[in-house]
Amino acid sequence: MFDVVVVGAGPAGCAAALEAARAGRSVALVERGPYPGAKNVYGGVVYGRVLDELVPRWWELMPVQRWVTRRSTMLMTGTQALTVDFRTEDWGRPPYNGATAFRADLDGWLASLAQDAGAVLVPSTVATGLLRDARGRVTGVSTDRPDGDLTAGVVIACDGVNSFLAKEAGLFRPEPGGRHLTLGVKETLALPRETIEERFALTGRDGLDLEILGCTRGIPGGGFLYTNLDSVSIGVVLGLPGLASAKVRPEELLTDLKAHPAIAPLVRGGRLTEYAAHLIPEGGYDSMPELVGDGILVAGDAAAMCLAAGIWLEGVNFALGAGMYAGRAAAAAVASGDTSATGLAGYRRLLEDSFVLADHRKLRRAPGLVFSERVQRQYPGLVCDVVQGMFQVDNPRPKPGLRRLLTRAARDRRVRLRHLLSDTLTGLRSFG
Amino acid sequence: MQPTDGTAPASPGPLVVAALSWADPRAVVDPLSAEVTADARAGASAADRCALEHALRLAPLLGGRCVAVTVGPADADLLLRDALAAGADEVLRVDAPVVRDPADDGDTTAAALLTGLARVYGRAPDLVVCGDHSAGRGTGATPAFLAARIGAAQALGLLGVSACDGVVRALRRLDGGRRERLTVPLPAVCSVEPTLALRRGPLASVLRAQRAEVPVVPWEEAAGSARPGVRAGAARPYRPRARLLAAPPGPDARARLRELTGADVRPAARRVVFPDTPAEAADLLIRHLVERGYLEGPPGPGDGESF
Ligand SMILES: Cc1cc2nc3c(=O)[nH]c(=O)nc-3n(C[C@H](O)[C@H](O)[C@H](O)COP(=O)(O)OP(=O)(O)OC[C@H]3O[C@@H](n4cnc5c(N)ncnc54)[C@H](O)[C@@H]3O)c2cc1C
Repeated sequence: MFDVVVVGAGPAGCAAALEAARAGRSVALVERGPYPGAKNVYGGVVYGRVLDELVPRWWELMPVQRWVTRRSTMLMTGTQALTVDFRTEDWGRPPYNGATAFRADLDGWLASLAQDAGAVLVPSTVATGLLRDARGRVTGVSTDRPDGDLTAGVVIACDGVNSFLAKEAGLFRPEPGGRHLTLGVKETLALPRETIEERFALTGRDGLDLEILGCTRGIPGGGFLYTNLDSVSIGVVLGLPGLASAKVRPEELLTDLKAHPAIAPLVRGGRLTEYAAHLIPEGGYDSMPELVGDGILVAGDAAAMCLAAGIWLEGVNFALGAGMYAGRAAAAAVASGDTSATGLAGYRRLLEDSFVLADHRKLRRAPGLVFSERVQRQYPGLVCDVVQGMFQVDNPRPKPGLRRLLTRAARDRRVRLRHLLSDTLTGLRSFG
Repeated sequence: MQPTDGTAPASPGPLVVAALSWADPRAVVDPLSAEVTADARAGASAADRCALEHALRLAPLLGGRCVAVTVGPADADLLLRDALAAGADEVLRVDAPVVRDPADDGDTTAAALLTGLARVYGRAPDLVVCGDHSAGRGTGATPAFLAARIGAAQALGLLGVSACDGVVRALRRLDGGRRERLTVPLPAVCSVEPTLALRRGPLASVLRAQRAEVPVVPWEEAAGSARPGVRAGAARPYRPRARLLAAPPGPDARARLRELTGADVRPAARRVVFPDTPAEAADLLIRHLVERGYLEGPPGPGDGESF
């Protein structure tokens, strides 16, 4: 019998196990992979600020590939690309901002922190269901091991997207499957370190995070390119319903992206070392399940806490934050002897008071806007056309004014200015 | 768990040892820089996992205990914890640096393993089960050195090992799909092919394994006893060889390239033949191959037998 059983040694699970173990609770951390991170996929940028609360001077310990000092956003059509490129030296020195890191390294490091604090890692073991007492309260998990029941005061479900533990606990509202899910596909391409430094104008451990809009043939989603030490991660994320109806294979879209004139020179000669695909819960606040049940908490992707709002794709930091609060709330509930939903209610309060739910609430309309038909299909072209018009010199004709360019581009791209205005207002309200 | 202070505990029954090699079988060697990228978390090879499964089955049949051993750095503890989770009674690691002397032909490893075991158990193993080849692209000679050092019988290429009334029997693969049944006297070293999957240990073993202390014998202490024998030159890491192609005739690079790729050769028209007898069919095939330059010699009438 453990005080706390955490299912899933991803960022959420490791943070939960770490906090509960630090509070002096006995903790088991169940992971289906042979080691933490063995089965995990993400693009590659982790924002470590939340770790300040968990690991002092984490930047000296975390297995980092590069520190993101260049943050670019690219809007593209088949033949055009407009990039807004920002760089700052501040993000290349303590206390840093974002970093590229490999999941096997990152999750392994986080799990080792939990182990050092006293949590017991249970690798190569799948949690197959919930154990309940006569009143229906969750009392542990069953696993696929012989004699594999693990009983606990509190179960923290950190089993990632499509969490069947949260579903089995009845915490999700029934709704059509896949509506809030996107599929992320990613390739890692090996390139010599010097080539990366030259192509991306980087030195030392500096790195680039490039987010791309307009590269998915109108399927709701986007693309990304991140630099590691001697490889780049490039990928696309695609809304499942749109992908299904477009009848395109995701790797075809990734091939398109790599062949785009703005991207091809950046990845030329890269040797494919990894291909991975994984679902992302991108529905945001409105698609989250109940976060607390009798004897159970849900955190991270399992609770749809990945923030996907166009220019932001942040899942790891939200998972770390949620896991940390879940671990604390579980430890407090065990200490007080009340692990019912009421005893665990502190978890939701901690989340409400932190960035985890505050950001999600503020940006609750953002996923709808970012994945809308117009943002995905029309606006990248509209913006590119306007910019092309501004910089194209058509002498002897005089320069057209911005208003004229906008009207012309809106007509060509079939954008109603009324819609543009209303989307701008929604954007301002969502992101403002 | 056994003490690491050199005290030899009382030995109940035969010591059945699974010798597991810590190496990443999917390590990538950069063909240009020779840099080896290996994953410390790779785990045991399929053959080594099979060896452990055999050792786990054989130990109770022989009335002994199963000890999993490896030579490697602290990362190799993962491998040993997996062995404990699967049911090994004890484990032992000889702490070795990640990069070892490339000239080690396996004897140093064998010596280190045996010294480590002697240090903890005060005796040589009765039965050692190993995987049948070197997952780390080494020489694969460690089992032979182990056998030589303890004067044990050695059985190789085994598809199965069992024990009955204290007698070890094995099934060995021979060429041509034949099999050979062996009776193996103890002490013995058996190398097995990957025919069995390693069992999944119960949850309690996994929990115990994670908390267990892994006994460690330092490399310097264990490896010191390797005796000088035949020394091979340094075994270099695996390199795929470049294929040499003779340059075809041609006045310039473009012409040579066209020649090499067959760009100017008109593909021969397809010919469908209907020979009456198998012999006739064989003649036609051979003639075709000679015409295309795949076989030598002018195919005269009655020449068929010479091919
Ligand atoms: C292509 C792609 C790109 C992304 N890019 C970024 C990015 O750049 N930055 C960012 O911050 N986020 C990114 N994300 C999102 C991010 O990966 C997730 O939000 C984050 O990993 C969530 O962490 P988690 O711990 O909740 O879940 P996960 O990381 O999914 O971990 C879940 C863990 O649970 C284990 N598990 C699952 N079921 C069971 C079970 N039944 N029993 C035992 N163990 C189980 C899994 O093996 C896994 O280890 C990306 C995601 C994808 C797919």
